[in-house]
Amino acid sequence: MRSLGTVGRVPRRALRRRLIAAGASAVALVAAGCAEDAPQDTWQPKGDNAQRIHGLQWPVFAIAGVVLVIVMAAIIWAVFRYRDRGQPIPKQTHGRPALEIGLTILPALILIGVAIPTVGTLLALSETDDTECVVNVTGQQWWWEMDYPVQDGCGGVERPIITSGQMVIPVGTNVLVRGTSRDVIHSWWIPPLNGKRDMVPGRVHTVRLQADEPGIFAGQCTEFCGLSHANMRMEVVALTADDFETWKANQLADYQAPAAETAQAQGETVFVQQCARCHQIDGLLNADGTPNISEPQLHVYSGSAPNLTNLMTRNTFAGATYDLVTENCRDEVWEASPEEFGARYLEGVTAACLNEVELREWIRNAPEKKPMYADPEELEETDAKTRGMPYLALSEEQIDQLIAYLLERK
Amino acid sequence: MFTTGSKLLVGATLLAAAAAVLYGVLVEGALGTVGLSSAAVALGLVAGVNVAARDSNVSAMDTAAIADAPAARPAPGASLWPLAVAVGGVLVVVGMVTYPVALIFGLVVLLVGTVEWMVQAWSERASADAGYNSELRGRLAHPLEFPVLAAVGIGLIVYSFSRIMLFLSKTGGVAAFGVIAVLVLAVGFIVAFRPTLRGGAIGVVAAIAAVGLVAGGIAAAIGGERELHPHETTGDLAGEGQCDTTDETEADENASQSIAAKSNLAGTVTLGEDGSLVARTAGVEGEQEVLVIGRSNPSNIRFDNESGEERRLVLDLGTRPEVDEAGEVVEGSEVPDQRCTALVEEGGSQLLTVTIGEPSSSSDTPYRFLVPGVDGAEVEVVVP
Repeated sequence: MRSLGTVGRVPRRALRRRLIAAGASAVALVAAGCAEDAPQDTWQPKGDNAQRIHGLQWPVFAIAGVVLVIVMAAIIWAVFRYRDRGQPIPKQTHGRPALEIGLTILPALILIGVAIPTVGTLLALSETDDTECVVNVTGQQWWWEMDYPVQDGCGGVERPIITSGQMVIPVGTNVLVRGTSRDVIHSWWIPPLNGKRDMVPGRVHTVRLQADEPGIFAGQCTEFCGLSHANMRMEVVALTADDFETWKANQLADYQAPAAETAQAQGETVFVQQCARCHQIDGLLNADGTPNISEPQLHVYSGSAPNLTNLMTRNTFAGATYDLVTENCRDEVWEASPEEFGARYLEGVTAACLNEVELREWIRNAPEKKPMYADPEELEETDAKTRGMPYLALSEEQIDQLIAYLLERK
Repeated sequence: MFTTGSKLLVGATLLAAAAAVLYGVLVEGALGTVGLSSAAVALGLVAGVNVAARDSNVSAMDTAAIADAPAARPAPGASLWPLAVAVGGVLVVVGMVTYPVALIFGLVVLLVGTVEWMVQAWSERASADAGYNSELRGRLAHPLEFPVLAAVGIGLIVYSFSRIMLFLSKTGGVAAFGVIAVLVLAVGFIVAFRPTLRGGAIGVVAAIAAVGLVAGGIAAAIGGERELHPHETTGDLAGEGQCDTTDETEADENASQSIAAKSNLAGTVTLGEDGSLVARTAGVEGEQEVLVIGRSNPSNIRFDNESGEERRLVLDLGTRPEVDEAGEVVEGSEVPDQRCTALVEEGGSQLLTVTIGEPSSSSDTPYRFLVPGVDGAEVEVVVP
């Protein structure tokens, strides 16, 4: 039986093991920062704005690091040098004006030195006068909607384009993002292209994006916004000017109804009956020939649901939580060279590349696939409206027909 | 047997008893007799107590009584709490017939004064050592007094600051508080670099500053707030069918007129002197004839009236089914679906916050902004 004096003591061997484990964890954490395949890495700028931030964070990080090392070294030295060895308490002194003033002025100078380039960078990043293309971004639980208003910018937009999950922009163009929210506060952040911007309901916030080369740049909502906050992702796709024009033209192309008595036509019927309450497909007609107009404002808390007119031109669905394409096809697009990227992306989702497994699971039971309620078994409505896509109780045959229909939406 | 005080009380008792008898014989009515009899009984009781206590006088020969008797104890110290209690009582009475705030303030003063008075009286009886008694009082009262006094003091200073800032003009406020900040900094430096300064002198300066601040706050409160920019309110008059009128109508008090809303516009719609209506939106250069507004999204639109007459801006969303007072849809009956501002004076501006749930493609007629009374003043609204 151990005496009271040994209770809680850690044997030397156990202590060594713990220290090794802690050290290994620290090394692993530091090493994780060196990962190259990290699409949301803030240290890999892909545009002018992100480059400005990058140019600021390096010297600030260096200065902070030097200060940290000096302060920690001084503390460790003082702790070791003046540790208790049974010596008498030294004479206590109070008041060293020169030292106190010095230790006030020195940090102040360091902060001023950091503040000047910081303010300059902030002012430069907030500039929007030089933008040539406007995209409205609206956040809601838990996906992002993007619409391109009528404008001369973006190479000219004659009719609004509306999409979700992926924003497509022309390469080398300063794009003005005008953001807001339909429900709670969200935050827009594409780390390779610029800093964060909160999106507050009832307010319009601006942020400028610019990409140097074609590619896909991933982002994430960075303001906790509810249960599926972690699943509220978004991507910016940069295309060359020609590819962007192609993409625009495709987005504004007329609706092509499926041929009669096909699985796609049956899928269209299922869509009108089950999905069109919330999801809009421009050009879709009701059985009586009138335009089908969705009414998400009556069924969804945020008042909106993704427009699926050109769903298969995107690579993601469900708030960019899942890929619409299989992993191999995804890699082919993500890893394509800048010269090949546009063509690969504009191919859209083909039957061979469709991530049918996860799309099928999503349509079968969306709340199970993406948390929207604390208890998916008891879907609690808010003001008689659902948050996110509800469980629709579709049959497997209906799901087959829907997927066949949706696969043509591009 | 009868001490000096007892004689007075016994005499008063006999006088009251005699008066009661005379009143009962000579004057009709029993009330006076009852009252005087009650007084006689009460005075007799007090006289009896006084006789028993021997006027609280202590015999000069009784040395033990000199030391132990209550009368031999030191007199209580001077106290302002009875005065505070009296003031509180008066405020309560006055407050009951005048202002509730006086009643509440009186109750607070009465409560505080009573508690403080009791604590002081209790502590002064604790021992014969005045210093110890004072320390005992402090130990009990300070944990309550200090936080309360600090809160009251901070509240007073903050309130005074706010009154002064609301009284001064924007420029004057910046200048005044810039000077005050410099003075505070200067005094701080003097105190820091002249440690020989007496604490009393610093206290006097601080007291003068505090009194000056509070006096300034009182003066500013009496002077009133400066003229603040009036925020016009938005009218949501569609339900009343009043959007098409050119008469003034009641504004919607619930509409957001905050600075935040005004500084975050989805667009600006301007009625020019020539009667043209154009839209502008951030990020899109020049004037627009089509304004895109997000679906199901609260959007702030500012209407600038640069014409020479009072005008209102109307958002025309076509028609919608009529709903009766019970909330039921009236079959076959449509009413205009409109949102609008109140009348805006020449050169004025007003905010219109709209949330459009249905896309413009759902309407047979295009959504549009228009101005009643001005032909051709239209801006198309597209809701994707």
